[in-house]
Amino acid sequence: MRESVKVITRRDFIRGTAGATLALAMGLGAEGRKGVKPARKTRVVLVRDAGAMDEQGRINTRVIQRMMDQGVGALVDREDTVQAWRLLVKPTDVVGIKSNVWGPLPTPPEVEQAIKARLMDVGVPEGNIGIDDRGVRGNRIFKDATALINARPLRTHHWSGVGGCIKNYIMFVPRAWAYHGDSCADLGAIWNKPNVKGKTRLNVLILLRPLFYGIGPHHFDMTYSWYYKGVLLGTDPVAVDAVGLHLFRAKRLIHFGEEKPFRPPPKHIALADTRHKLGISNLEEIELVKLGWDEDILI
Amino acid sequence: MFSKRILVFYIYSAVAWSVVAISGCEKGISMGELVPRRMHGWKAEGKDEIYNRDSIFDYINGAGEIYRAYGFRELLVRLFVKADQPDIVVELFDMGSAGDAFGVFTHGRGGEGGDIGQGSEYRGSLLCFWKGNFFGCVFAEQETEAAKEAVLDLGRAIAGAIKVIGEKPRLLDYLPKEGLMERSVHYFHTYPSLNYHYYLASENILNLDESTEAVLAGYQPAEGKSYLLLVRYPDGKRAKGAFERFIGAYIPEAAHTGITQLENGKWTGAKVYQEFVIVAFDAPTRNYAEAWLEAVREKIATQVEE
Repeated sequence: MRESVKVITRRDFIRGTAGATLALAMGLGAEGRKGVKPARKTRVVLVRDAGAMDEQGRINTRVIQRMMDQGVGALVDREDTVQAWRLLVKPTDVVGIKSNVWGPLPTPPEVEQAIKARLMDVGVPEGNIGIDDRGVRGNRIFKDATALINARPLRTHHWSGVGGCIKNYIMFVPRAWAYHGDSCADLGAIWNKPNVKGKTRLNVLILLRPLFYGIGPHHFDMTYSWYYKGVLLGTDPVAVDAVGLHLFRAKRLIHFGEEKPFRPPPKHIALADTRHKLGISNLEEIELVKLGWDEDILI
Repeated sequence: MFSKRILVFYIYSAVAWSVVAISGCEKGISMGELVPRRMHGWKAEGKDEIYNRDSIFDYINGAGEIYRAYGFRELLVRLFVKADQPDIVVELFDMGSAGDAFGVFTHGRGGEGGDIGQGSEYRGSLLCFWKGNFFGCVFAEQETEAAKEAVLDLGRAIAGAIKVIGEKPRLLDYLPKEGLMERSVHYFHTYPSLNYHYYLASENILNLDESTEAVLAGYQPAEGKSYLLLVRYPDGKRAKGAFERFIGAYIPEAAHTGITQLENGKWTGAKVYQEFVIVAFDAPTRNYAEAWLEAVREKIATQVEE
């Protein structure tokens, strides 16, 4: 029996002849177009600071604010913090900060507040700023939002391979389960919904203590998280997630001593690029700017 | 009169439903009663949270799909607190059948086994176990000696309160024992579960769904790792259809032989027998794959006839 649609199978990976296919299905979009010289690169900024957290995992609010400021400044090429933020957000914007409340690894309040503080510095009234995750669809600010800031920690995920910036918008759709098929392959489609499309000004992938491996639905095991003490910022959620995935691959290689395939493959990142045209997943087309602490940076 | 009848109907329905709900858990005992309220100084705090197949996403986001891929009915969540100690959370899932309680346990296992319930595993402050129709998880926010003891004893207490012993899926009996890696056995129904354990294809080329039963098992032959997949369909016609689709999509050159050597030098083969489809992945040699498929077919033939 012939399949009417092209099926990507394990055999395609084994053959290795369909490099792009391999890259897509295994979430390795970064390797899908090697050798292509991009006309223009999308910028992603990694900021790390050894003082971001102490040995007990407590977050230093002041350091986080500084990291965020450095990151946004480098992202838009402005030294002045408020000027930098003004390139992302206008005082008249209504801004929703999309966070993530997942119990073991939520968006830290320190990051949320660092973003909120700068939005207010730009001139956005506090009443026009909302922070929410699961309630975004019923939240007045998010309904009226003219701008969104997307901030969440990076972690492996039991149904999509990894949970990053792209996946964080699943709460904007009423039937989240409709996007769970084929390892959440089409999460990128959510970003084209009218309540979201074109509104995201900044993506913050939090790498303070990422979870790089997990088994089972609960998935959180401190054995597989580490103090990386970083944040990754970009306007392109696909590029930010692709760099995050690259970091995880590097970390897993060191930790396990071998390439450990993601289960399931986080193909939604590459598909957000090639199928949904949301952004860039090819590392060769991403300009990674690295600031701050560089010990064990891995990427 | 009409409204009275409606009222009686609703009352009757409510009573009947609550009886069914309770009996669906454990004869005459509600899920909440299976979980103690105190353990080593930890006390239950707040109201129990209850989730069903629809609301599970509110609790565990997309990972709720794991339970929905089985016959999950209801989840009870109870929080335990103790001064100067990490919180402990108990989750008890009514999976609807012992097979699915076992299945969801096998979905997430990855470490050494324990002796709580009918199978358990403890790692990194998380205990998971299954018994009867139930799958349980107990975890501490942080691991301390005291918390570990409480987690394990909570698990023992819950497993002890569940009186029914569940039967593992019959499908497991058809697996050859030689070279079998016991902890690599996964029981499931749908293709996302298969893809989680062994990524096969972006489409459902084996036509798996809630009505199918599947077991994937890892084997360690002389070298490398091989996998055996056994699927039971509702009838022989569906099995044949799935077999043909698999061959066409994955190993079309094996349309006549059912077996081929892939580009990595390993062998993949498939066989359809009655309502079963048997697939050998990554076998080291052709003989190995053929013998393997035949061994399973023989076991099915013998045991089904018994």
